[in-house]
Formats: sequence, C-alpha cells, structure tokens
Amino acid sequence: MTTPAEAAAFRVPVERLTLANGLRVVVSPEHSAPVVCVAVYYGVGMRLEPRGRTGFAHLFEHLMFQGSRQMAKMELVGLVQANGGLLNGSTRTDFTNYFEVMPSHTLELALWMEADRMRGPVITQTELDNQRDVVKNEIRVNVLNRPYGSFPWIDMQERAFTNWHNAHNGYGDMVDLDAASLADARAFFDAYYSPANAVLVVVGDAEPADVFAMARRYFEAIPAAPPPPRAEIDEPPQEAERRFTRVDPLAPTPALAVAYHTPPAATPEYYALGLLHQALAEGDDALLHAELVSKRGYASEVDGGINFLGHMHNAQTPLLWCVTLVHDSDVTADAILESFDEVIEGVRERGLNAEALARARTKARASLFGTIADQYIPGFGLADLLASFELFEGDASRVNDLDARFTAVTSELVASVARDYLRRENRVILELHAGAATEAAS
Amino acid sequence: MSADLLLPPRPVLGAPRVGILTPRRREVLPSGMRTALVQSGTVPVVALRLVVEVGSAHLAPAQAWLDRLTHDFLREGSATHDRAAFADALAAMGGSLDVEGDEHTTVLRTQVLAEHAAEAAGLLIGLARTPRFPAEETARLVADQQRWAEIAAQEPQWRAHATFRAALYGRHPYATVLPQAEALAGFTAQDVRDFWERHGGAGATVLLAAGQFDADAVVEAATRASESWATPAAAAVQPAQASDTRVVRFVPRPGSEQTTLRAGVPVPPPGHGDYIALEVANALLGGSFNSRITQNIRERKGYAYSPNSQISTRPRDAYWVESADVTTPVTAPALDEILGEIDRLRASVPPAEEVASIANYVAGVFAIRGATLSGLLDHLEFLALHGLDDGYTAAYEQRVRSVTPTEVWRVARDYLRPERLTIVAVGDPAAVRAGLDRFGPVVEG
Repeated sequence: MTTPAEAAAFRVPVERLTLANGLRVVVSPEHSAPVVCVAVYYGVGMRLEPRGRTGFAHLFEHLMFQGSRQMAKMELVGLVQANGGLLNGSTRTDFTNYFEVMPSHTLELALWMEADRMRGPVITQTELDNQRDVVKNEIRVNVLNRPYGSFPWIDMQERAFTNWHNAHNGYGDMVDLDAASLADARAFFDAYYSPANAVLVVVGDAEPADVFAMARRYFEAIPAAPPPPRAEIDEPPQEAERRFTRVDPLAPTPALAVAYHTPPAATPEYYALGLLHQALAEGDDALLHAELVSKRGYASEVDGGINFLGHMHNAQTPLLWCVTLVHDSDVTADAILESFDEVIEGVRERGLNAEALARARTKARASLFGTIADQYIPGFGLADLLASFELFEGDASRVNDLDARFTAVTSELVASVARDYLRRENRVILELHAGAATEAAS
Repeated sequence: MSADLLLPPRPVLGAPRVGILTPRRREVLPSGMRTALVQSGTVPVVALRLVVEVGSAHLAPAQAWLDRLTHDFLREGSATHDRAAFADALAAMGGSLDVEGDEHTTVLRTQVLAEHAAEAAGLLIGLARTPRFPAEETARLVADQQRWAEIAAQEPQWRAHATFRAALYGRHPYATVLPQAEALAGFTAQDVRDFWERHGGAGATVLLAAGQFDADAVVEAATRASESWATPAAAAVQPAQASDTRVVRFVPRPGSEQTTLRAGVPVPPPGHGDYIALEVANALLGGSFNSRITQNIRERKGYAYSPNSQISTRPRDAYWVESADVTTPVTAPALDEILGEIDRLRASVPPAEEVASIANYVAGVFAIRGATLSGLLDHLEFLALHGLDDGYTAAYEQRVRSVTPTEVWRVARDYLRPERLTIVAVGDPAAVRAGLDRFGPVVEG
C-alpha cells in the first residue's frame, strides 16, 4: 500500500555501464517474479533510414530474425520458445528494437543470442526474398486492405512535414522494397548496427553486476565502428495553416485529423504540451471528448497522441500532437472544426483551470506508471523508457525525472504553450473522404 | 570468421528459479458479490475489473449489438455521478473507464494510482448497480454503433469472423456478431435497461484487482457499495451445438488485396481432460511464431505476415481456428498448406523434442503473463468464467509440461478433423473463387 507522497517519490533503480566498444548497458533490477526482459535498441528508425531506401529500416528488422553466425534461420525464435520465453522486434520513429522476455535463469542465453545477432545477420537471397514477401503482406494487411489503414500516421506525416526524413512513408514504397539487395543489407548493417549506436537493457530478476559481467563476456569483442551518418531531421517553422483532403477508397465514413507541431523534446514546453494532451484528448473527462463526443455527438471517440509510433517519451522531435476522429457524412469538417476551435481557443485564452490541470498531472503520472508496470509484457515498458532516455538524452536514469518534469509545469506555462503552439498557423488539417460511403449505404 | 568476432560458446543454464504463486484473497461478500484480489508488482498502481455476467449470449439475433450499445450507455454515469462527474472522478485517480464484453460477460475496467483503489472499486460498483441509461442520449449512442457497424462491414477480418461464426453456430446466439441495421436503429434506452437489469446483480458479479493496494479497504468499499444489490434468477444460455460437417463459405470482396482465411473446428472446452493437451497442440500447429503453419506459410512461402491459430472459449464451448491474410494469387495454395499441416500432425506422433519445446513455451508464457497486472486479471476472469479454482493455476505449468507427444497427436486426430472443418475465405471473386472448389461445395455470402 502506498500514500500519495510515496507514489510521487516512486523511482526505479538504474545502473549503467559503457563497454570499450561503445555499447551502453542499462540494468533495472526488480525481483518480484522470476522473469527478465532483455532488449537491444539500435539508434535507427523509420525516419533515420537513408534516402532512396524507404522501408529499409523495417525490412532489415525482419532480416535480423533470419539467422546469424551461430544460429540458423528461426533458431533464435526456437531457442526463446523452448526456454519458455517470448520475443518480438519493432521499427519505430527513431530506433529499432529487439526483445525477449524469459525465465530469469535463461538471462545468459538471451544475452548470447543478442550478442550473436549484433555480429550481423547471415542470410542469402532466399531469406531476403522471403522476408520481402512477408513485409509486403504486412503492409497489405495493416495499410492497403483495410479502411483508415494509413490514417493518420502515414497520411499526416507526408503532409505535415517538409523534411524527407520526417515526411516519408517508413513502411516503404513497394518499388523501394523490390529494389532492396543483399549488398544494401550489408551496407545498412555496417552503417547503423554498430555497438556504439546500440543500447542493451535488462529489466527484471537480474543483478546488475552479473549482467555487466555477461555483457563484457559476450559483447565486448564486437569491434567498435564509426558512428552512423547523422540524419538531419530539423523542420523549418510552419508559417501558415495547411489543409489537405484525401479519399480512402475503403472508408465507409469520413474522418478528420488535426496536427500541431510540438515544442522540442525534453523542454519544459514539451511537458506542458504533454499535460495539454492529457487535458484535451485523453480519457472521457478530456475537453475535446466532452465537446465533440458527449455534447455534439460528432464521433464516438476522440483519439490523440504525440508520436504515431509510440508515445511522447520514446522519440526525438520534431513530432506532431495529432487529434483524430471518425464522423458521419452528414456533418462537415468545417462544422467539427468550429467546435474544435471553441475548445482550443478557450484554452489558449484562459489556460486550464486548477482542477483540470491537477487531473492532467495525475493522468500523466498514472500513464507513466502504467507504462512501467506494462500491460502484458513484464519489464518491456520500462526497458523501452530506459533505452529511449539513454539514446535521446544520454542517460537512462533520467526516467526518474519524468514525474518531476510534469510537476514543474506551471499553469502559466501551460497557457503560454497553448497560445504559442496551438495556433492555427502551426497546424495541419487532413480531411479523409469516404470512398466507400455509397457502397456501404446500399 | 575473424577472431575478434568470436563469440564464447552458448552458455549452459542453471536451474530455474521457481516462482511463488501469489496468494489470492477470495471472498464472497454479504451481497453475494465475489472478489479476488492479488498483490502484484512494485509500481504503485492497481488494475480493477468488475465482471458482470451479462453478455451477448443473452440476446436474440435481432438484438445483436444491444450489448455494445449497453457498454456505451454505461459510460453515461451512475445515480451519484453523471457522465461528466464520473469521468472527472476517475480521472482524478489517474484512471479512465473501459467497458468491454463478450458472449457471457460485461467488464468495467480501469487502472488507477494505488491510493485510490477502494474509491475506484466503489465507483465501478455504483455504476454497475445504478446506471443512468439516459434516454435522451439514445440517438447519439445508436449513431455511434451504426458507424462502427459500417466500418466493421468494410474490414475483411470482421466479415470473415461473422461468416465463420454463422456457419459454425447456426441459430445459436454465438452465431451473430454483426447487427441488423434496422433493428439497431430501433434500440431504446429501455431495451438497454431491461437487458442489464434482467441479468445483472451482485450474485452475478466478480470484482478483480491486481497491483499494490490496500485489500482491506477494497473489500470494505465493495461490501458497502454492493450491499442489498439484488440478484436476479440466473439466466441459462442454451448450450451451443457447433457444426461438425465440412463447410466452405466464400465472401466476395472485389479488388481485395489479400484473402482473409479462417479454418476451424469445435474442440472441448477448458476443464475438459484434453484441453491442456489441445493448448500444446495449438501452439505447435499454429499458435506460436515457431509453429508449423507459421514456419510454412510465413517463413518458407512468404504467403502471409501474421498467420495465427487460437482456441476460442466460452463456458462449455470452444473451437480451434487458424486465421491468415494471404496474398490473393496464392489463396488456394495457402489453404493447401494449412490443411496439409493439420493432416501431417494427425498422421504421425510429433518428435519428443518439438513437443517438449512447445510445452515449455506454453508454460513459460503462462508464467510471464502472470507477472503482469492485465495477464493476472485475464487469468482470474478465465477461472471465473469456466468455473475453475486456484488449484487449476497451481497445477497448470506442471500439467502442460507433462503433455506427451502421443497426447498431442491423439487430440489432433480426435478433434482437428478435416471433415468437420468450417472454412471461410473473404477475397476478390475474380481471382479466388474458382480455386476454392476443391476444398468442398462452396456457399457464397
């Protein structure tokens, strides 16, 4: 049982070590269950991949399961499962991750497997062709064969950003996927998968000293390599509101997305926007929910978030705070925007009242605790935060500053961030038109 | 291989650390409401679920989605808290309300900061007991459901699921998963109230909690909030008689980028002597990344991204089903491979090493899920729904690891019978339809 003061003081243990080859190792022990999460993060994500190679970071993630020096294709998957564990990988905005959750006595095996993988995939044209087909099917099932498949993430990024890195479709164009070769895979690995561009995180039933010793044993012989080419991801400031429409051939009913460019990450303004997000768009008490769902009945839900492929703590900026809703054909986007703007302009003029701000802070804290406690994969939510802070701020232990960063945001700062960032000139509107409306009605 | 890349040999592992089964505090409150509370983890949060035994199986086909409408109506507040006051109160504890349900339950869920556990439990019980169900919100909430129904009709997975259920369950309530447009338009707040009050009550409700919290305070709050909440007579749902003949259904979706496949068959439910062996057989055949079907149609053929099989359960009812979204031109070959893997498992006892590995996986994932709040609550819900006790949890991992290759082969042979399969394909008729004839007489729509 905990008191509010204890909840505010909740901290996770964090121990760090950097190996001679530059690999950063982060450990957060937690012994309540005999389970350990091992995660390796590489500092290359969908927006950091090189030009002319859309979708390559994600395709390469698939190749990392196709065999390495000591493990044949699928052997890693088989070893994890046979030892009672589960695994996955994902390609996000600014990193690609691989993780296993295992019984804690198999920690050393998990480290051995990841160390082998860090030495590079060993694959032939057969595996490349196979995973190219799998990735194309992934794009079909998640994007092409369903309504709202690219809405809002691909659709909005392409329109809101002007820098290719931020704007391009990270799932990849089929043409680029078709062109990907084994030589590309080799070059991509050499450029981006060096130890110094990676973070190894262990969360759960493990002792830091043991993890550090094993990390040295299995990872330290991997040669150091130059840092990857730095992708320039800055965006020029947006000067005027921009508005777009797109027809989704499978959508039976229209949708609307409104996105604002965020303040830079890790600034007080960024956390103020995080609280504005909580107050405006998160949960049934949110102001936009009350207006657009409960009062006007325009939609059944208002969805909002920062970072289409994660949350506000696990990517660099530039990012967008984007709010979406799916609505009926008999109401126009303009009518919805009028109500939307009443709410936004009210906050820009008056800020948040004390009660709404207090709720926003509480929701931000609960959301953070929820991420750490994780929903279904023990340790992974915390591992993700630790890796993100190590990659983006250079120190995983700053995860323990998050609660204080939200608490430090004053009502004045919330009001000024609302005024400065929730301006029309700083936003992009996307109307999705329902290409399947007639068919659905008949 | 260069010397500097040499990796030490694969480590030899020590003995597993045996997890301690977290004790559950179970009580039956004076009202008849049951509770199951578990202390878990180290983060000061608590996950709460109020499971009310009211579900879609209590509805006639023309009432399909009255349960979903009820879920939304529940968000309109209780006698003590209107919609806004309820949302504000829960948000002030760090939570928000989710309402979900299935054939037999409606579940009110939230996760709040630990110090608010008792207060949040009281709020959820108050809502379930005295929902407002305001008639003036009917048009808006019905319109929301109509929008969801339109979207569902465009999603190939929904259409495959609906067709599969209809083929498997015939006239039973389990058969209907999509609404009839006219009936949905006519639902009233009184329909919602009748549905909720006819079946809901303290005796039909279980409060579950997991996390770091004051269990005494939660029990006290639940006792107070549920006091004298009446329990209606239990409404029996007729047992389902699932189809046990070969059925092939094709749903035309012109221009579809992929074909969405289902192939399934009725199997014994949880609690049956063969169920755990079936779970191992499922993980081996299609229910894990390393399973035979996934290895085949994903890792060898590249036909699909995430093919997957599962056992879908209801009290005294279950079916096994393989689901896959496959590239349109390889629809029939993909189905050949899926049916071929079923045949191969039925034809010969799987290697001992394969079964031991997969049993370790099933047992290991059970332990891993049990180390999370949501996983723990899912399991407690599973026990409640299927009438199983804590002994089931205690014995589970050992029972899984004791499943033999012969058992896996036998349950596959006895239950995964090709002549009983219901097969559904949703896809482009021009590209797909003709190729399906060899799987049996095809019924369209």
